[in-house]
Amino acid sequence: MHLPPAAGGWWEVGMALLEVRDLRVHFDTDDGVVKAVDGVNFSLDPGQTLGIVGESGSGKSVTNMAIMGLARGGRVSGEVLFEGRDLLKLHTSELRAIRGKKIAMIFQDPLSSLHPFYKVGDQISEMILAHEKVSKKQARNRSIELLRLVGIPKPERRVDDYPHQFSGGMRQRAMIAMALSLDPAVLIADEPTTALDVTVQAQVLDLIERLQQEFGTAIVMITHDLGVVADIADNVLVMYAGKPVEVADRRTAYYGPHMPYTWGLLQSLPSSGAEHTGERLLPIKGLPPSLIHLPRGCSFHPRCPYVFERCTREEPELLPADPNQPDHLSACHLSLEDKQRIWQQEVVTTR
Amino acid sequence: MTVQREQPPAGRPASPGREPLVRITGVKKHFPITQGIIFQREVGRVHAVDGVDLEVYPGETLGVVGETGCGKSTLARLMCRLLPVTTGTVEFEGQDITNLKGNALRLLRREIQMIFQDPYSSLNPRKRVGAIIGDPFDIHGIADGADRKKRVQELMETVGLNPEHYNRFPAEFSGGQRQRIGVARALALRPKLIICDEPVSALDVSIQAQVINLLEDLQEEFHLTYVFIAHDLSVVRHVSDRVAVMYLGKVVELADSRRLYAEPKHPYSGALLSAVPLPDPDRVGQRQRVILLGDVPSPIDPPSGCRFHPRCPKAQERCVHEEPPLERKASGDLAACHFPLEPGEDLAKARPGIEQEPEASTPTAGAG
Repeated sequence: MHLPPAAGGWWEVGMALLEVRDLRVHFDTDDGVVKAVDGVNFSLDPGQTLGIVGESGSGKSVTNMAIMGLARGGRVSGEVLFEGRDLLKLHTSELRAIRGKKIAMIFQDPLSSLHPFYKVGDQISEMILAHEKVSKKQARNRSIELLRLVGIPKPERRVDDYPHQFSGGMRQRAMIAMALSLDPAVLIADEPTTALDVTVQAQVLDLIERLQQEFGTAIVMITHDLGVVADIADNVLVMYAGKPVEVADRRTAYYGPHMPYTWGLLQSLPSSGAEHTGERLLPIKGLPPSLIHLPRGCSFHPRCPYVFERCTREEPELLPADPNQPDHLSACHLSLEDKQRIWQQEVVTTR
Repeated sequence: MTVQREQPPAGRPASPGREPLVRITGVKKHFPITQGIIFQREVGRVHAVDGVDLEVYPGETLGVVGETGCGKSTLARLMCRLLPVTTGTVEFEGQDITNLKGNALRLLRREIQMIFQDPYSSLNPRKRVGAIIGDPFDIHGIADGADRKKRVQELMETVGLNPEHYNRFPAEFSGGQRQRIGVARALALRPKLIICDEPVSALDVSIQAQVINLLEDLQEEFHLTYVFIAHDLSVVRHVSDRVAVMYLGKVVELADSRRLYAEPKHPYSGALLSAVPLPDPDRVGQRQRVILLGDVPSPIDPPSGCRFHPRCPKAQERCVHEEPPLERKASGDLAACHFPLEPGEDLAKARPGIEQEPEASTPTAGAG
């Protein structure tokens, strides 16, 4: 018997929790149009973690600002489907009900994202009071519980501290407490550990993972640290100059990527083996392009060691290169044989 | 190209005949905390650097790692006399420079230069690149006019900048290029020692690799000695011959970089290394990560005994009362620990033998 195709709700089979389709964010400036994000697609299921990797200016943060309706001054097009609704078409007041409650965000710098004049507890309570009909007392108790949950010692006392009385790691924990206060379905973390020491970073990543297991939150993790992604992401999206250039699951992204830019990123890291390292690092030559005057064809071609004539002429589409791996997408004109040969012979050997 | 550097010995006594370039002995730096407006009473002290002995040998790269606030940047500033020491001595090429003043200090500055972390705030935005790199020549009266311009352009070429950009402002350069300007400025006076304070932390990975390669090339070409401070442990391992691990103003381990990464002796080094995220999903899965509890205690009132004991997974009663000296362990490296890690020991399974402070205890996850 043939079932009719599922129609309607996001919860039905085949519909993701969050789906971004052909998202573009362009900014008009005096010098020209900055194409900060130019055609991003991804989908996210409940409980999943998507890692978005790329250098400064590759559009990773703007993508997520646009999802939250925070890309001010930009021309946004495309679709952001959340629970079946297009967030880009919602009115500000409708969006406000989703922001924080359904989709929460953690920012990079915990000092500048907490208000220095207000007590940490009040800032968390404010979030709860804005979305739910509870008394101040109840909100405060919830704040204490949340601070306890994220590992702040003596939360009933620390709830009345100001942000400057918290250390960097504690502030980031307070931000996580705030983000999780309403049990959101999606958590967008924009470089949540970049400003932290490795030991504190380990604590925070551990916390995020533990909370994800407990609440089944879907996470979008934006980072430039390939180590963090290897640690916590299920799928990896690599961005370059505003465009996604490779999408793969975590193991494929590290052990069989198809795009020369991903190769370059992995090669430019100091090797992680215990053996020393008299060897030179292999940086990607050149600089990221200006987003106003993108190179013709593939925007990575001026820096690509494997460039050929077609790359300068024709922009590659994000497609599966290997028919056996339909979920592994890459935007590159090299043939599958070339990709596999170069990865095996030239890239793996240098790591 | 593979550059194999001579491996200097890890500690002091085993280095006969090799004169250190820099030797610091018993150096402390305390910053007073004062209260009151007219009569400034001292109410406390920040023990930023609290008794460090360290030697830097010519031609080597000494890495310094540790968390924020462990005193690594203060140590670097003491080494190049940007800050006066509270007690202790700093020697450079056998000469005591602890109390140098005036002209003698200025002459010293030619030998020791610094590269800073933030390529945005360490360059004067109103000065042209030529002036920024050429200023050391003016200050030290070495070259002016056409000669100065020629030298600056040579330097720009050495660090991989286009010499035609002589008249541009820093704002016209990218982060990586700005860091190259900082390198050229440090190089201008042909120093013997360059102190790199987080030189690549602000850069993207691909650019980071370019700058590290440049620093390595320059070391070879100009026989430079580096003190390399960074919180990125994989970068430190890549560049360093020896690594000093700092915790709360003290060096807790000083070891050959290969050995430190393979077999850390101090539990803090072990925890620090296990916290580094690896760009290798399979190895991440295998590894037991040691999560340190709590935060670094305040350097105003550091813990008694071993300063790491409130967070240490191996802490015992002895650690609370007795401060371990930095001494040679079996491998020949220095570590300050009563119960150093054995090769192959799993730090993640260790349990402390003392009650640790409530501040540092794990919270019970029960809310939600």
